[in-house]
Amino acid sequence: MSVAGEVIVRAPAIDHRPWWRGRLVQCASVVALMYVAYRVWNLQYPWPAWLEWNSLGGYLDNFQVWLSDSRNAANPSFVFSIFNGFSSFLEHLVTWLNTLLLDLTWVGTTAAFVLIELRFGGARAALGVLAAFASFALMGLWEPSMETLALMLAAVGLSLLVGVPMGVLAGRSDRFLRAITPVLDAAQIVPAFAYLLPVVILFSVGPAAAVITTMIYAVPPAVRITALGIRGVAKNTVEAAEALGSTERQVLTKVQMPLARRMLLLGVNQTILFALSMVVIAGLIGGGGLGAVVTNGLYSNPALAILAGFAIVIMAIALDRGTEAIADRTDPVRRHLTDAKRRRLRLLTLATAFAIVTIVAVSRSLGAGTLYGGRTAQDWLLAQVQSALDYVQNPSAFLFSVTEPAGNFLIEHVLLPLQQFLVETPWLVTLAGLTAIAFVLSGLRPALTTFAMLASIGVLGMWEPAMDTLSQVLVATLITVTIGFALGVWAAESRIVSRVLRPVNDVLQTLPQLVYIIPFVYLMPVSIVPGIVASVLYAFPVVERLVERGVRDVAPDAVEAAGAFGATRRQTLVKVKVPLAGDAIMLGVNQGIIMVLAVVVIGGLVGSGGLGYLVAQGLQRGEFGLGVIASLAILALGIALDRVTQGTRRARKVGDER
Amino acid sequence: MSKRLASGLGAVLALAAVFAVWVVGSAAAGKAACGTVVLNEQAWAGSTANTYVAKYVLEKNFGCTVKVTQITEIPVYQAMASGKVDAVLEDWQHVAQYKQFVTKQKTVVLVGSNGLQGHIGWFIPKYLLKQYPQFKTWKGLKGKETVFKSPESGSQGMFLGGDPSYEQKDTQLIQALGLNFKHVTVGAEPAEVARFTQTIKQHKPVIFYWWTPQYLNKNLDLAEVKLPARFKGCQHDASAGGNVKQYRCAYATYPLEKLFSKKFATSGSPAVSFLRKWRWPSNVDQNYVANLIAGQHMDPAKAAETWIKAHPAFVKTWLGK
Repeated sequence: MSVAGEVIVRAPAIDHRPWWRGRLVQCASVVALMYVAYRVWNLQYPWPAWLEWNSLGGYLDNFQVWLSDSRNAANPSFVFSIFNGFSSFLEHLVTWLNTLLLDLTWVGTTAAFVLIELRFGGARAALGVLAAFASFALMGLWEPSMETLALMLAAVGLSLLVGVPMGVLAGRSDRFLRAITPVLDAAQIVPAFAYLLPVVILFSVGPAAAVITTMIYAVPPAVRITALGIRGVAKNTVEAAEALGSTERQVLTKVQMPLARRMLLLGVNQTILFALSMVVIAGLIGGGGLGAVVTNGLYSNPALAILAGFAIVIMAIALDRGTEAIADRTDPVRRHLTDAKRRRLRLLTLATAFAIVTIVAVSRSLGAGTLYGGRTAQDWLLAQVQSALDYVQNPSAFLFSVTEPAGNFLIEHVLLPLQQFLVETPWLVTLAGLTAIAFVLSGLRPALTTFAMLASIGVLGMWEPAMDTLSQVLVATLITVTIGFALGVWAAESRIVSRVLRPVNDVLQTLPQLVYIIPFVYLMPVSIVPGIVASVLYAFPVVERLVERGVRDVAPDAVEAAGAFGATRRQTLVKVKVPLAGDAIMLGVNQGIIMVLAVVVIGGLVGSGGLGYLVAQGLQRGEFGLGVIASLAILALGIALDRVTQGTRRARKVGDER
Repeated sequence: MSKRLASGLGAVLALAAVFAVWVVGSAAAGKAACGTVVLNEQAWAGSTANTYVAKYVLEKNFGCTVKVTQITEIPVYQAMASGKVDAVLEDWQHVAQYKQFVTKQKTVVLVGSNGLQGHIGWFIPKYLLKQYPQFKTWKGLKGKETVFKSPESGSQGMFLGGDPSYEQKDTQLIQALGLNFKHVTVGAEPAEVARFTQTIKQHKPVIFYWWTPQYLNKNLDLAEVKLPARFKGCQHDASAGGNVKQYRCAYATYPLEKLFSKKFATSGSPAVSFLRKWRWPSNVDQNYVANLIAGQHMDPAKAAETWIKAHPAFVKTWLGK
């Protein structure tokens, strides 16, 4: 094609499509057709039994039984001894850390962490660490906190040890990234409930199984964000280093890693938060600690469960800010040491070590380990939380007179109709309609994926619960993306908002959902709504973070150029920043979907039914096959939704280039 | 990482290692008579009551060191099989697990009832019986289902289903009895409690899957709806599949079992013979302790002590004196 021809066919800045070719209009007409079919034939054509493959569950159950039988046989196969070795290594590591933390006494442990932070992270960060440890003691949760801290130090450390090298590899090799992405998706979406049983069979219960389960969930963000960071290093910088004769290793350690430092830190932050969000699940298989306090508290002392939940949050924030401060202070770019300074720092290190030893020795000899009571503050705190709970649980309170009708309205007029629509429409119509919508939104390949995923859900015998879950996931994702996008843009524009949101996000990402969602059930005693609230609150922080980072990282020259043309602040935001941050925003949407799906099981535990309920049933009643199949259906929904949204990003890009 | 940082961390780690040796040394000098017994406590308050009552006696009378783990119901079988947990003091008839671990693998041992009778059924608040005395049996529900109507049940009555971890067959039962109920899954036990207590506080009608023993029953004043009598071959869990007709009967009442790991059962520890004899006099006693723990938020150890101090005669039967 000639250059001149290309100029002529270039599309105008705004694409003038006839109204009936608009994506929204086309989607709406597909939905309208589906609705007609729903009104005419509702419930007459459920997924046909002859299209179901029912034996998979049996096979999976048999596999689980076989695994357990051969594991517990008198002379187990030598393969298991590999797992034994690994699990006893982890168990020793965690137990050793735990005994260490407890035997240093509460004064000693606190002093050790605070002084180390003071030496390497600065006074502000040290104050934060001190506050965190003091709060564990004041809440009367010292021992469970140390148990969880030991578990998390091991899990986070190992996750980074595994995740960062994998991320580096994925950052440097496209093929490796492509190979590993589906595994990462699966690790994040498949609920832990589905693989707890095999993990327990292979690694037995206790700290080892808890660490493994935590790692499965916490490694993916480490890999993803590290890879993103390595890839984000400008190509010409790498080429310049290569031209100067750097070896491959030098390019990595001297150029790529240092330049990706900020992204790597975000990776550490997300790994910590993801790991801490697994504390409760780890508690179910012998992780103990705060997780067990939360689970038992939900049944017999909700106020205590809430307190323990906040201890988890405090630990997450302290770990995150602590490592961040250390990384900042030791950043080689920002500190220039003279020999004198260096000597002084070395002395300070020695002084710190000496101070820790002295404090530990003194407090041990005074018996501070046994002296510690801390109960009074716990009683007071519990009373405060309890009085809030009493208000929430009182149906004659004012709040209830608002929330109950709101919940009833939502369920009666929004959620149930949508659920019925997706569940009761003839299966062929739903299958064709959803595929058509995928096609309209993002093209042929995502449409084919959607079709394949929905069809396999049907074949697995999960059509009805999956449509039920899909209706909830759609609503939750819509709310998540709306809130996350709005807050993200706002936070990118305003430092104050950003500063307020960060701790809020940390809380929402690590506070165990059941801790706040069960009290919420008292306020809105209906199905489905609490589950949606839980998934929105868990998922929007990630969207917010990615959108904020994306909008903020828009190249300053583009913004300045817009300013030079006299664009108002609003115009700059709407016409320049948001469109240029498109990639980060779409990544946010994707992560939002994944996070919504990651808490489907929590929904099942507070009345959302659908796939989440089946997964919970699978673990808690020993129906392994059922749990795995329902999880596969969740994964299939995730893959379909992910491809469609990623496809819209690609479709839009193609449109831009045209 | 800089050299200074490394040397600093090195110093701290070296100190840590010294402490670790000290720790291990001091831990070795413990008691040896009974050794350590690992009891598993499950999430519900009744299980906490069992565990702490047994723990109190094991520690006071046998000098055992009792470790309490909190592992959820199904994985705990694997924990017993690998010898990490010694005993579970309340198991609600996990028949499939009995088959696998007790009969086939012989890694877990059934050691009889803990003295409690577990019973599942359909419950309503007692105040409803004043207006509708016919709700005493399921037949009285027929035609009156709309009393239990809610915004999410449409034109039907709403039936609140149970926790996903408990056995249930309510969907099948509703169908087999020809009742016009919509079965709503409310999720885990605490969520179910939230749902029906809010309704009961407002004196509204509600019908739900529930069971005894449960400490809340003490304060809730519930009545059970009588379901059709049990017959031979009558199923009590939906996982059995098949025709709904074979579900047309009440849930069974069965003893709650104690389980030992094989390793513990054959260890010859004095704790074994005690835990074999250990059992509650009745459901009332466990409810009493569980209510102290969950209803009044008393420390579990103290709640256990309160009951034990009040029942010295019964404790003697556990000790075989």
